Amino acid sequence: MRYTRVVLVIAAFTLSLAARALGQRGAGPQAPVFEPAAVERGKNTFFVNCGFCHGANARGGDGGPDLIRSVLVVDDEKGKELGDFLKLGRPDKGMPSFAKLVPEQISDIATFLHSEIYLASNRRTYEIGDILVGDANAGEVFFNGAGKCRSCHSATGDLKGIGTKYDPVTLQGRIVMPRGQRGGEDGGRSGTPEPQGAVSTVTVTFPSGQSYSGALVRVTDFDVTLRDSSGGIRSFTRNGDSPKVEIKDPLQAHIDMLSKYKDADIHNLTAYLVTLK
Amino acid sequence: MTITKHLRAVVLILAPLGVFGQKGLDPSALLEPPIDTWPTYHGDYSGRHYSPLKQIHSANVKNMSLAWIYRSNFGSAGAIVGGEGADEYVGGSIKAIPLMVNGVLYFSTPDNAFAVDARTGREIWHYFWKTKGGIHIGNRGMGMYGNWLFFETPDNYLVSLDATTGKERWHKLIADVKQEYFSTPAPLIIRNHVIVGMGGDSLDVPAWLESRDPETGEIQWKWNVTPRPGEPGSETWPDAYSMEHGGGMPWQPPTYDPDLNLLYVPTGNPNPVMAGQSRNGDNLWTASIVALNPDTGKMVWYFQCSPHDTHDWDATQVPILFNGVMNGRQRKLLAQVSRNGFFFVLDRTNGQNLLSKPYLESANWYKGIDAKGQPIRDPEKDPQVAGILVSPGSSGATNWQAPSFNPDTGLIYVGTSQSYAMFYLTDTDAHPQGYGAAERGAGNAGNFLRAIDYKTGNLVWKRATTVGAQGLLSTAGNLLFGSDGAGNFIAFDPKNGKPLWHASLPMNPSNAPQTYMLDGRQYVVVGAGDSLYSFYLQQ
Repeated sequence: MRYTRVVLVIAAFTLSLAARALGQRGAGPQAPVFEPAAVERGKNTFFVNCGFCHGANARGGDGGPDLIRSVLVVDDEKGKELGDFLKLGRPDKGMPSFAKLVPEQISDIATFLHSEIYLASNRRTYEIGDILVGDANAGEVFFNGAGKCRSCHSATGDLKGIGTKYDPVTLQGRIVMPRGQRGGEDGGRSGTPEPQGAVSTVTVTFPSGQSYSGALVRVTDFDVTLRDSSGGIRSFTRNGDSPKVEIKDPLQAHIDMLSKYKDADIHNLTAYLVTLK
Repeated sequence: MTITKHLRAVVLILAPLGVFGQKGLDPSALLEPPIDTWPTYHGDYSGRHYSPLKQIHSANVKNMSLAWIYRSNFGSAGAIVGGEGADEYVGGSIKAIPLMVNGVLYFSTPDNAFAVDARTGREIWHYFWKTKGGIHIGNRGMGMYGNWLFFETPDNYLVSLDATTGKERWHKLIADVKQEYFSTPAPLIIRNHVIVGMGGDSLDVPAWLESRDPETGEIQWKWNVTPRPGEPGSETWPDAYSMEHGGGMPWQPPTYDPDLNLLYVPTGNPNPVMAGQSRNGDNLWTASIVALNPDTGKMVWYFQCSPHDTHDWDATQVPILFNGVMNGRQRKLLAQVSRNGFFFVLDRTNGQNLLSKPYLESANWYKGIDAKGQPIRDPEKDPQVAGILVSPGSSGATNWQAPSFNPDTGLIYVGTSQSYAMFYLTDTDAHPQGYGAAERGAGNAGNFLRAIDYKTGNLVWKRATTVGAQGLLSTAGNLLFGSDGAGNFIAFDPKNGKPLWHASLPMNPSNAPQTYMLDGRQYVVVGAGDSLYSFYLQQ
């Protein structure tokens, strides 16, 4: 957990650098930067001085409010408002003064609290827990039976070693979203790349009988574009049913399964696939 | 004498006195169907996105061609610069629907506002706002009162500009950006009220709608989306703390019935967004449609679209107002094609539910419909640590983009997505925070432009698209304007969805088109990416 958070902070820092390099063009506000050592020091200082009332995770405890949702903390700038507040405390509500804390300690506590607020409010940092709750044997039965996985895949062929190639969450994503995880909260920017063999193919046939085939690049009601075996692009205008356009999506079976899965099927299948070493 | 007539009389008396900002938009224009103006985000108060114009019609639309293109320049260069912050954000796309008043188009994007000549597409002025931050996801555009313009910024200011010059009159703080509020709505003007909403889902903050004085910017009233302890609705929350942090952001421009004097506000999802364990209950008035008195901010009725939502399905889709026959009676109706995959029709005089019907075949999260017409959620489809597969994903069966109601066909047109997503509960604490869950997009069983019969909720036709939610406009010229998601701006036959005309743009349209008459010619204007595209019939 601790290690992951440090990695996240480093990731946030890298993102912020990237945003600066882009001159914020289209990037929105910059990701904040939290020095990992300061976060760690602040966490310890917080635990010793504040944790008893506000909880070790600052979400509130015996008598002390949740500080992740505290307007005073959220609005604090680098410990300044927090430091002013801690000098006096809130005696009317039973909170003593913390004037004994030196400025470096207050700065560290502020860094810790602001990083916790960032982690709570930035869903891209959320860590998915243990998803391996399924029954691998039931998953194997599903793989060979109702899931029809075996009509395209083989546990000893194309899927051999899949359990070591991907972590469980990515693997589960491959089952329900084989094209790579587009959509979701980040529009797929963190998604996995398109796997080989996942591209739709198209055949365009004219009334004369002449036809063209290749990888589908684009299709609308008015045009269709393909990449042929030479790697070149060919585009055609469409007028109703002419020319005839036939598209084959090799992943259609995955799409068709979405309305058929029970959640247990997905859990079991994931549990089975991680065993394919 | 109806209230509308009263209003017009008041307007006629007051207008010459200059209380509406000397010139500019005659407020009575807001009470009429949009013809030679497009005076508000929705075109009129009804939210129908329907124009009575028919110079361009289904038989001649094949001759429609480009009038002009305006490419906006986001950023401070050459602009009138304002703002409280130090940062210059440059980016975004035109998610506004431009106003058109007296031959000038007015629209905004995050941190930018523009006036453009509606005849020529040439820029008249550009205002730029230096930001303190906030999520720069979009801006729906401006509101206009006399000669004063109003728009909201991502760092939560209401900014008022002089429409003639683009110079700032004042700006007022709406909410605190550090608490993760950000503001996207187009303000709605009702008489001397500027109706202002906001957004922000990330830090479990309270939501409200407010009304401000168009001259001074001072607050006239606030309506809290979640109740306070002891108030009606508080029984749908476990405690005061969960209400205070319950969210429900009203970020869609509302609609309004002048005769009933009711403002229809669709509200956002509750907080924490996807982890519901600290807010057991229905969580009123989140994910609801509420009717408010716009003079007092008092609630008159409500209908909840998603009791205890756990999938980020705010009900902030347009409440569409029209009159029609339901259950054998002529009624004043309100229809919403909601983000959770349900189509609702209400009696807008009292909120009575007349029809609730799922329109998304793939929706798998509900067990039925209760006696009030509200969907009954299946708790097994709440986010779980190990993940559950839900349709639609959090971006919804549809979203904020404007649908269209066409009184000539009796059909509601809407862009939809049969998306799926895995929802993983990540915060198992008794008091989770923020979203509390992670989402990973799954496959999609198909995006469609759909035509829905309001009387039955039945699908009349659908057409495959590569985009789900999309902005739409229908006209008395027997036309429906929309897109296919692949960059084609299309005029469809509203009766059957057949394309009658199209133009391929560099970017797909980013919200609904609008239309107006100017010098005897009908223009159709649509925003796509950083540009406005204007079309008319060649003469």
